[in-house]
Amino acid sequence: MSALAHYLEDEGVPSVAIALIRPQAEHTTPPRALWVPFELGRPIGPPGDAAFQKRVIVAALGLLETRRQASLIADFPDDDPRETPDPGWRPPAVPAADGAEGTALAEALVAELRELAPRYAQSCTARLRSTVGLSGLPPAECGDYVAAWLRGERPASPVPDMSPALALRFAIDDLKAFVLEAGIVSGAPSSRQLGDWLWNDTALGAALQVLRHECLVSDDERLKAVAAFFVPALRVLPD
Amino acid sequence: MRLEKLPAAMAKRLAELECPDFTTTPWVEAKPLSERRVAIVSSAGLVVRGDKVFRGRDADYRAIPDSTQANDLLCSHISINFDRTGFQEDWNVVFPLDRLRELATEGEIGSVAATHYSFMGATDPVQMVDGAREVAGKLKADNVDAVLLTSV
Repeated sequence: MSALAHYLEDEGVPSVAIALIRPQAEHTTPPRALWVPFELGRPIGPPGDAAFQKRVIVAALGLLETRRQASLIADFPDDDPRETPDPGWRPPAVPAADGAEGTALAEALVAELRELAPRYAQSCTARLRSTVGLSGLPPAECGDYVAAWLRGERPASPVPDMSPALALRFAIDDLKAFVLEAGIVSGAPSSRQLGDWLWNDTALGAALQVLRHECLVSDDERLKAVAAFFVPALRVLPD
Repeated sequence: MRLEKLPAAMAKRLAELECPDFTTTPWVEAKPLSERRVAIVSSAGLVVRGDKVFRGRDADYRAIPDSTQANDLLCSHISINFDRTGFQEDWNVVFPLDRLRELATEGEIGSVAATHYSFMGATDPVQMVDGAREVAGKLKADNVDAVLLTSV
């Protein structure tokens, strides 16, 4: 991101970067950057807190009014209050999928998605939006496609211009969004709370651990390549 | 990000991630913030629903018109090692268009650009040079004189 600042400023467009990783900004020396202490993925800070977000933006844009320096990196002083867990938040109830594999896990996944559908719809209504849509498939079809892989099938791609492996990656992205969005109907859960629920308690979390392992040992290079994008590094279970 | 919150190996990898070297730092002086036209340029792999998603470490960019609704903005960044729940709950966490509009109404900034842009941040930045220069030309054509660069 700090490199883009160089390229834009070189062309005469002033910029200020919001930097999440300070050592990277220090190395790349953008004209101006505001380092923020927030977790990766949240450059503007807490969701749903317009006043806080505006303070971040004003602090960043304010650097545009400073006089020329070699490279100006300022620090935003406040942490994201939404990193603190919400003790009142409760995840949606989902059917247990403990230890299920293969067809049983596929069935558990489809059942879970069906169970969460009303919560997801409620969440979409409350937020007036959804971030499901990368595969172009409705969530239920994403579930059916991923379930087929769990059963050991090698289904054709349901997306005309995507390989089966790429469609699998985006279907998985959509299912993660579907489940997580179902979890943010009420309360103010931290990302850690939502992640703990997804990866420890849901059939989708279990399914993705299985699929990751199966794709990584596949002889299909495209499956191996996409498998790295199923489970975050901090959530990968040891073999 | 407070890197000390991450496992040491991951923090080290992020801190030491290969980045381009620049021998100089360009600097454009401009008018007060209250008179500036502001655009967002994100490296979050954002795409408008229906547009071509980023499929890997693509070096090109996507345009995001000011008229884009929150329901029509998706994140197709290839990395899964950053939080997406903030963006899922509130798009302003990554793409603060509502906040910029409010700041324009309040007179903190002059106006909001007609079009914003997104790149794929996992791409080698050197490969983005041509796209970035093209975006700069489009920003100047829109009279933008302040860019808020947001990464994830």
